[in-house]
Order: sequence, then C-alpha cells, then structure tokens
Amino acid sequence: MKKILGRILWVVLSVVAALCLAGISLNRGEPINSIWLVLAAACTYLLGFRFYAKFIAAKVMVLNNDRATPSERLRNGHDFEPTNKWILFGHHFAAIAGPGPLVGPVLAAQFGYLPGTLWIIIGAVLGGAVQDFVILFSSLRRDGKSLGQMAREEIGKVGGLTALLTVLFIMIILLAVVALVVVNALKGSPWGTFTIAATMPIAIFMGLYLRYWRPGKVLECSVLGFILVVLGILAGQWVSVSSSIAPVFTLSGVALAIAVIVYGFLASALPVWLLLAPRDYLSTFVKLGVVLMLGVGILFVRPQMQLPAFTRFIDGSGPIFAGKIFPFCFITIACGAISGFHSLISSGTTPKMFAKEWHAWPVGYGSMLLESFVAIMAMIAACVLQPGIYFAVNSPGGVVGATPEAAVATVSSWGFPVTTSDMAGLARQVGEQSLFSRTGGAPSLALGMAHIFAKGGGGQAILAFWYHFAIMFEALFILTVIDAGTRVGRFMLQDFLSHIYKPLGRTSWLPGVILTSALIVLAWGYFLYQGVRDPLGGINSLWPLFGIANQLLAAIALCVATTIFIKMHRARYLWITCIPLVWLITVTFTAACQKIFSSDPRIGFLAQADRLESVVESGVAAANLAEMQTLIFNARLDAMVCGIFLLLVTTILVDSFRIWVGILRGTREARVTEAPFVLSRLRPEEL
Amino acid sequence: MKQFKTVCQLLLDFVRELGDQNAYQRYLAIHSRKHSREEWQRFCAERLSAKYQRAKCC
Repeated sequence: MKKILGRILWVVLSVVAALCLAGISLNRGEPINSIWLVLAAACTYLLGFRFYAKFIAAKVMVLNNDRATPSERLRNGHDFEPTNKWILFGHHFAAIAGPGPLVGPVLAAQFGYLPGTLWIIIGAVLGGAVQDFVILFSSLRRDGKSLGQMAREEIGKVGGLTALLTVLFIMIILLAVVALVVVNALKGSPWGTFTIAATMPIAIFMGLYLRYWRPGKVLECSVLGFILVVLGILAGQWVSVSSSIAPVFTLSGVALAIAVIVYGFLASALPVWLLLAPRDYLSTFVKLGVVLMLGVGILFVRPQMQLPAFTRFIDGSGPIFAGKIFPFCFITIACGAISGFHSLISSGTTPKMFAKEWHAWPVGYGSMLLESFVAIMAMIAACVLQPGIYFAVNSPGGVVGATPEAAVATVSSWGFPVTTSDMAGLARQVGEQSLFSRTGGAPSLALGMAHIFAKGGGGQAILAFWYHFAIMFEALFILTVIDAGTRVGRFMLQDFLSHIYKPLGRTSWLPGVILTSALIVLAWGYFLYQGVRDPLGGINSLWPLFGIANQLLAAIALCVATTIFIKMHRARYLWITCIPLVWLITVTFTAACQKIFSSDPRIGFLAQADRLESVVESGVAAANLAEMQTLIFNARLDAMVCGIFLLLVTTILVDSFRIWVGILRGTREARVTEAPFVLSRLRPEEL
Repeated sequence: MKQFKTVCQLLLDFVRELGDQNAYQRYLAIHSRKHSREEWQRFCAERLSAKYQRAKCC
C-alpha cells in the first residue's frame, strides 16, 4: 500500500511539474504568479533528485554504505570527522552559496523571466548538480583530494598544472567582478556605505570579543554582531539625512573601488581571527537566514511577475550586457545552474566529513538543487519589479543617457514605460538619492527583496530598512568572498613564486606576505578599476568574462569526472558527464569567441578597441586622449584574458581526450587511484 | 514533541558546526584538554589557517 501511494505521489509530482513548466513557458501577455515558477522548480528538482541522481548513485557510482569513508578511516577530529548528513548538507550548502546565483539571474532577466528560469531548472538538474555530485564522489573515494590533485593524478601533470593556473586566473576575475557589484551598489549611497563601513569595526570587535573576552562563544558573538549590524543599518538612515556626515559617506565609484582594494589587502595580510573569521561567521548566518526569509516571503506573498516571458533584447541589443540569448543567457546565469567553483568546494572539506557513502546523494546533488532554487528566488525578486524600473536601475548611463530625463525616455522607448517621478518616488522610499544606472544587479535585487519583505510585514513604511538590509546582506558576503579569495590567491601565488625564490613560499615571512597580497590585490584591483571607469558600466565586459571562466572551470571538472568514469569501466554511462560537458564547451567557446572577435563593438573586445582607436585617430577625443588609450588597452587585455582561458581549457580537453581514447582503445592502462576498500565499522550512535 | 526536539537539536548542532563550536569540542576531547582562552586561541590558529586556505564560492 505504501509503495503504491509513493508511486501515485511521484506521478502527481510529475504532472504538476509538467503543468507548471508548460504554464510558465506558454503564457504570454498577462503577468503570471511567481508561485508557478516555485512549483515548476521544486517539482522538477524532486524528480531529478529521486530518479536521475539516485540512478547515478546506484548504477554509475555504485555507492556502498559498507565501504568505510575517509572520515572513518582517517578520523582525526579536525578535518576527518563523520558528520550527520543533514548537518553536512547545511554545511555544504553554506559553503557553495555565493553571490553568483543571486546576481546572475537578476542580470539575465533582461531577456525576460523564461529563458533564465528554464536554464536554471534544467541546467541544475542535468549539469550543475551532476558536476557537484560526481566530483564530491570522486574526492570521497580519494581521501578528500582537491580538484587540482585529481586532475594531476587522473589526467596528468599538464592537466594538473593547467587546472591550477585556470583557478588562479578565474579567482582574479571573480574577485574583480564581485567587488564591482559592491561598488556599484554603494556608489552615491551614504546609507549603504555607512552600513558596510560599520561592519568592519563590528567584525574587529567580534574578533577581539572571541579571542579575549568570551573565547569560543561564536554563536553568542554572532548574535551580538548581528544586533550591531542592524543598529548600523538604522544609524545609516540618520547618516544619510545628516548634512554634515552624509557627504563623508557619499563616495564615487573610484573612491569605493580604492576602499575595497585597501580592504582586500588588509584582510589578506592581517591575522584571520581579527577581521576575516568573525566576518565570515556573521556573513554565513546572515546569508542562510536571509535566503530562508526570502523563500518564506515568496511563498507568503506570492508576488506577480511583472517582467514578460521574453523581452525584445533576446536579439542581442540588451542594455545591461550585449549579446544574444545564446550563448549569453547561459554565461550570465552561471552559478545558479552550473558552477565550476563548486567543484573546488566539493573536493575540499565536505568529502572528509561523510559518515556513509550514500550521504553524498543528498549532500552533493541536493545542495546544488537548493542553490539553484536560490537562483529562482533571485529571478523572481528581479521580475516582480516594474520592467521600466528594472531597466532604469540596471542600464548604464552610457547606454540610456546620463540624465534622468534621457534615461526614462530611452527606457520608455523600449516599451517599458517609466517616469522620472516614479524613479524619484522609489528612490525616496528606499532612502537613496537616485536609482538610475545602479548597475551590477545588487540594487535591483535589493529592491525586489525589499518589496517582498515589506509586503510580508511592515508595508511601505519600512521599505527603506528592508532595501538597506538586503544591500547589507549582499555586500557582507561578497566582501567575505573578496577577503577569503584574496588570501587564497595569495597562498597560490606564494606557492608558484616559491619555485623562483624559496622564502616567498613561507606564509610567515612578512615581506613575502605583503608582496604577494599586494600582487593579488593589484591584479583584481586593476580589473575592478577598469570596470568602474567603463562607460558601459563594467558589468557588460566583466560579468561575461567571469561567466566564461566559471563555466570553463566546470568543463575542467567534468573532464576529470569523465576520465574517472572511463577508468571505472563505466564508459556506457559517459553521457551523464559528456552531455553537460559538450554543452558547456559549445556555450563557453561560442561566448568567448564572440567576446574576442565579434564585429559589434558592444560585444567584441577587439572591435571595441578598434572603434576607440578610430575615435582617437579622428582627433575627436583629443581632450581625454590618455583615458581613451587606457580603454583601448583594457579592451585588448580583456580579449587576451578571454583567449588565455580558452587556451588553458583547450589544453585540458586535448589532454583528457588523449587519455580517454587511449583507455577505450586499450592502448593505455585504466589505473584507478581510489583508496582501497575497507569495511565500515561505524555505528549509527557514533554520529 | 520528541521529533520537534530532535529537529531543534539538529538545527542547534548545525549552527554550532557552522560556528566551529562543535569542532572546538572535538579538539578539546581529542587532546584531553579543558576549555581556556589559550586553548581556544591554539584551536583557532590551527582551524582558521586551514579554513582560509580554501576559496570561498562564487
């Protein structure tokens, strides 16, 4: 009876998923309710989890609970510790959830809600969650080895070194682009800038509190930190209306970029307990809390989607970023559907904490589905805004015009009516001076979230609080990505430079620490500065670069996974990793080639450089010749970075392909590097 | 009621895991030491230096 009921339930879920997907796909003209998206995603995820992921776990990976996991065999109470699967699920989700799935869908909403939503759902079920799951499994069977180590062992030295270099380059672009999101969110906003500035002394206070006054009381300290941050948001309102203090916190993009660069350097060079760790604790709790709040808010409010299913910008003429729906929608969504960075997390801490192999099923596959659900929520938050407001906020001044009148005229001419009084009224409501051209995705996401939260409780009266609360939430964990990323980049650079001069590799040698921190900060800082000065808002060039890099890293992870499957004699299941791999290669190579070679200056970096050069040659830009020369150099640099990404990934692809063909032809030994089988003796009560 | 208690305990364990408090208890148990400011500082030095050698996800 129970079995029959179970089957009926899955049939009902399949019907609901099909109806909801058809509903959101076929609906045109009238706004639909966001609950359709929530149901379509939730039902598809459940089906994918129950059937597809379980098939992979049982038939391909052959997970075995009798096999002792690394946490049991190598148990040391530190990294290797058997952990309850639900705790590990939350832990892994907290580790993979970053700003990407929040910002990407907001930007991709320029095509309308449908393309992005479908890709988030399908991409996660068939690509992103599969990648996370197979890498987690591979690392689990190899005592928690990292992606780089697995690439070196499974593919070869060239593959390993290329993977490491790719990660370093991606890190630089990632840090620049997320820093740009923060800068654009805080530009000209004394309230937001004050709130974020206040989190620095709060974090230092927390660091000192934990180290000297109440050692070990992390939860107590985090609650205290959260109260102080909320007080900071409330104080920010007072700051924003104070004629004497507001100007101090009303900063330009360049000033904010310099501030973020200095912060990145300090966070990388200072002891971790003082600034980085307390911020990280606080940001993790706030991140999980806000994601939960947003989910509950959407279910409670069930807002209408205001953006249409498709906009006119699917033809590539989008104001937020240029390029057609294929490949740029997929590049822009990035982490919400498939994220290469997850392969670094899946081959890090988590595999060392599994008590049983089958726990990898909910943790590896399920966590990514939850992350994808966060992306759906971000898409909803962006699409509940009036389209005119969404485009006026997200379009750079260089596209819509520098004045409010020009901007509303341009946006309205696209068929998305908006007036200067609409924008001024909204800015007043959320306590901002202006909401025009606040590119980067964070302000429009914060607006959408504030609307949902305000409808859930408090109404329009506290819209300003919720808006700044959302900005604080985004900036807080983006800055945590920046400080931790800079530190990791520093370690990687120290590792490379130690081959040239040995002391540079010592993490305790101060000159080495300062030099490598400065080099990493300068590397991403340069791209950040370039983005801030870009007349098209920076996001147009940097976000696609980040998307391409991230997806190429996913391609590397899938190459490693495919190699492992072949070595495990699972060649007949290769389609599981090869379908997403072929798709990723097609999308990223098309996008990268277009970004380098497209003749449209809004898309192609080289065409952009040529156009600027012709302007310089014509003498029109004689007054700002130096700036034009910098823009030309930047466009060529971006083209070169894009080319380097392609070259690195081509190297790994060719190297992997050589090995696959060798093993399948029988000319190469299929040597599996798994840890040997040991019978598990872990008792349930030990968890 | 029992299930509710279990869920609450699980949630508490989860936040304690995120806040490294469980890891600290394990550290004390393994080394047979008692909680003190110095022990916490020693634990942090080990734990945090390993934790922040890994990238944060995007």
